[in-house]
Amino acid sequence: MERVSSGVEGLDKMLRGGYIAGRSYILTGPSGTGKSILGTHFLLDGLRNGEACMLVALDEPPSEIKANMATFGWSLDQLTTLDATPDIKAHKKKNVIDVGTTLDVRDMEKVQDVRKSMQIRTMEVTIHSVQKMIKQSARDLRERVTGGHYSRIVIDSMTALKRFSLKGEDARVLVQSFLRFLSELEATTLIVSNPLDTNNLETEFLLARGEILLHKWIDGNAVRRAISIERFRGSAFDERLRPMTIGRHGISVFPNASVTAKGELTRTIDRLFLEGRVAAEVNERLDDVLQSLESVRAQGGETSEAEAAVLRGVVAMHRKRYEEAIRHLITAKSKLSGELRLQDAAKRAEAKRA
Amino acid sequence: MRITTGVAGLDKMLHGGLIPKRPYIVSGTPGSGKTVLLTQFLMEGIAGGERVLLVALDEPPNEIIANMRSLRWDVGDIEVLDANSDIRRFEPTPIVEISDEQEPAKMRDLPEEIRKTPEVESHEVTVHSLQQLLKTLLRKREYARVAIDSMTGLRYFCMREFEEDVATQSFMRFLTEEKVTALLAVETAGEAEVPPESFLARGEIRLHRVRDDTGIRRFVSIEKFKGSAHEEMVYPMEIGAQGITVHTDGRLLPPPPPVD
Repeated sequence: MERVSSGVEGLDKMLRGGYIAGRSYILTGPSGTGKSILGTHFLLDGLRNGEACMLVALDEPPSEIKANMATFGWSLDQLTTLDATPDIKAHKKKNVIDVGTTLDVRDMEKVQDVRKSMQIRTMEVTIHSVQKMIKQSARDLRERVTGGHYSRIVIDSMTALKRFSLKGEDARVLVQSFLRFLSELEATTLIVSNPLDTNNLETEFLLARGEILLHKWIDGNAVRRAISIERFRGSAFDERLRPMTIGRHGISVFPNASVTAKGELTRTIDRLFLEGRVAAEVNERLDDVLQSLESVRAQGGETSEAEAAVLRGVVAMHRKRYEEAIRHLITAKSKLSGELRLQDAAKRAEAKRA
Repeated sequence: MRITTGVAGLDKMLHGGLIPKRPYIVSGTPGSGKTVLLTQFLMEGIAGGERVLLVALDEPPNEIIANMRSLRWDVGDIEVLDANSDIRRFEPTPIVEISDEQEPAKMRDLPEEIRKTPEVESHEVTVHSLQQLLKTLLRKREYARVAIDSMTGLRYFCMREFEEDVATQSFMRFLTEEKVTALLAVETAGEAEVPPESFLARGEIRLHRVRDDTGIRRFVSIEKFKGSAHEEMVYPMEIGAQGITVHTDGRLLPPPPPVD
């Protein structure tokens, strides 16, 4: 399968050669971890090879992106930019138009100041208009250059697109359709996404063919950064967390180094996973003990000791001392079983007498 | 009679394999190995000369073929139903539902490129049309094994949000009535999430993916298996060139000591 460089040498090594061409990938991580920079590396690499590349800017106006990237000494002049940052909303009822109907796509070198919202009509960005503009732009390119097509697209960010441009109940379906549209363009796409709710699986995460996760944490008084590949369909990949820096020339990844300072990160993940399982076990035992408690009570048995143990167990559980909780619950259970046996024996004796 | 999953260690955990003619779910976070397990299950059927069907909802078939090449599996004999919806039209042109005359194709007969949305009419997959189509196919072709990748795709893209749970329940019920041995992939957002499908399925195989200092560690557990005893422990597993291997002689490693 054809590979496309990520623009960062160390990351390419981790990816065993680069992204698989024509597919879409997620760049994710908390804010300030370098997602947009990593996306820009990818575009820059394409521009250097003379490929047609497109940035769909939804978070920041292109003028700011241009300025930010200039600090790394990068020139993005040849980059096609789609300014899909919405205008200031006019709080009037009429005259809202889709961005696609008036605004055009332009090269980064023509980007000057922030585009001002118009006095009379303001523009709204919808996923549909963004799609239409990309389509139009791809068609123009095809007409200009035979066989020309966008080989790399970066959407920065999907979170903004979904938050501001997707209203109504069909969000998932529209995102699916948008991603299908991108994959039919046969461009390799990076989608910057920052899920707001970790309990909910975002559509782009379900559909992306891979996921690059950026990490940042405080170690002593230094900011540490790392990068990991969470999944990568159709390819082997480096499964370890690797250190990364953002320096004067952008991102550097060190694929042979390991993350030495054990940050909070890995421990938290492990702990959460195991904690979840143990907590479930405690719950199960608790249910079981409570049931026994009911039946002993129903037969008028002695339960005070068991109750005390259950109480201690529940307290331990609340303090997240799960093993201690299990011990208390086992004690309670054995007390109750003993009581049940006693009652059984008493019943049998009575039956015999009768 | 049990149906082997294609993963020896997993069959051992299931005390022999799956009970036939029932739907089971394979759950886990994205990247936990669900698709590999589903494919391995189908390949096991192919090896036994069975007729098998893959319903692809998350990925176009051309990509699935390319991906499985890295596992060196010849998936050519798997029949695949491409149930990926086309690009949606925003104009009020007629939307064509996936036709119930559509025939699954053998993987090896598929084109290299992604199927392009036609200019005139795009087709949309809804749970109703898919169910109708499957009904016809299951009766006509008598598939011994069916894999649905994924149930989450079906839920996200083929159902209206308000009817999700009912439609899922009805779809699972349909599979049960058709008496088909099916594995359904279900994506979970986190480790602790219990997907609603697990209440409806006859069994749940859970794939776990945990990151630690040495990389990604993988585990598998049987969360539920109606009508059979099964292993209760969580066992380590690997995804390698041969697909999934479960180490039933391994133990779940104890939690790391708390660091103060």
